[in-house]
Amino acid sequence: MNAFVDDLAQRHLDAAYNLGRWLLGNEHDAADAVHDAFVRASRAADTYAGGNARAWWLAIVRNCCLARLASRKREAQQRHLSVVQTTAPLHTDDVEAGVDASQRQAIIAAQLRALPEEFREALVLREIEDLSYREIADVLGVPIGTVMSRLARGRALLRRALGPAHTQETAHGL
Amino acid sequence: MDCKTAQNLLEAYLDNELDRASARELEAHADTCADCSARLGQLDELRRALREPELRYRAPPQLRERVRAAASSSGQARARMPAWTRLAAACVLAFGAGASSIYMLDSTRAAHEDLTHDVFAAHWRALAATSPVDVVSSDRHTVKPWFAGKVAQAPLVRDFAEQGFALAGGRIDYVGSARVPVLVYRHGQHLIDVFVLPIPASLPNTAQREGYTLTATTLGAQPAAIVSDMDAAERARFADLLSSPSAP
Repeated sequence: MNAFVDDLAQRHLDAAYNLGRWLLGNEHDAADAVHDAFVRASRAADTYAGGNARAWWLAIVRNCCLARLASRKREAQQRHLSVVQTTAPLHTDDVEAGVDASQRQAIIAAQLRALPEEFREALVLREIEDLSYREIADVLGVPIGTVMSRLARGRALLRRALGPAHTQETAHGL
Repeated sequence: MDCKTAQNLLEAYLDNELDRASARELEAHADTCADCSARLGQLDELRRALREPELRYRAPPQLRERVRAAASSSGQARARMPAWTRLAAACVLAFGAGASSIYMLDSTRAAHEDLTHDVFAAHWRALAATSPVDVVSSDRHTVKPWFAGKVAQAPLVRDFAEQGFALAGGRIDYVGSARVPVLVYRHGQHLIDVFVLPIPASLPNTAQREGYTLTATTLGAQPAAIVSDMDAAERARFADLLSSPSAP
């Protein structure tokens, strides 16, 4: 039974870590969350009821990430700090550094990082991990219609945020 | 396809989530519509930017090592356990089994609810997509072979045009994580989807959402679900037709 989880986790370790990085924002927390997820998945292997195994694994990873985010927010509140700042700081340094293609990538990464969590995670699963609507719905535990509207909203926000960098197209598009 | 419908389907098209008939209609529309083709271009550009490999973080080797170590240490722990810990573990497992069966009950109910939702959502998507079928045919000899290569078991396909329920075609849809054949019929202005379900699928006998009704029935030996906005009498008549023994 656990051989199944071992294999699943190893095969989709990049996917798990990538989701963790985009949700938690740093390497250390992402790695810890994926490790937690692996332990949890091994214990809960018998709750896997068939269906898409990658979605099942990523749903566990996401839960571990959300648990970390929640405790981070609690700590921040205890220290009377702003909650918003702890989640997804916009790295303006990244934006300024580099040129051309790498600069553009940095801008897109920064804007994706700055998106509200629910749109960010849907876009990461769809575009970076190439999951289908059905799989994303399984990972997030929401209906497919919700997945579609979050993707649409996330893309609209990103396009708006990237507006200045896209002056050539948007100049007449708007 | 009109522009408003096309605009709503652009993202599903780029995400490869449209059935082939609608995808073709959308392409045909975008060829003649500057607005839609411009939006398609913008969405595609955003998508390519997000798919740059640099945006995907790779698991660091230390993490891979850590997971491997956790996997092998839990394996060894199981092997090395002394008798009394095994007994204790058995108690914990027994307790856990009780807890997980409660969990299972809950998750069965949730799965029930999810499947029902999937069936309705698939029906609504089909209605929105202007063409609700992938294979357009009123000939059962065309529809059945079309399914043969796409799902494990091609369903029983019959036309009931004489009784007022004309076969319009078929498509493949998702219910849960299973690909299921869907038979599409027309009755007057009503579009009827018949989802042919894998044997273990658990759906309620009837359910209603926003004016649409799901009715459980059987198609040959397979369970099936009818989704439509017909009234109760017509639904019952159609369910009887579907479950009636097929004429030789």
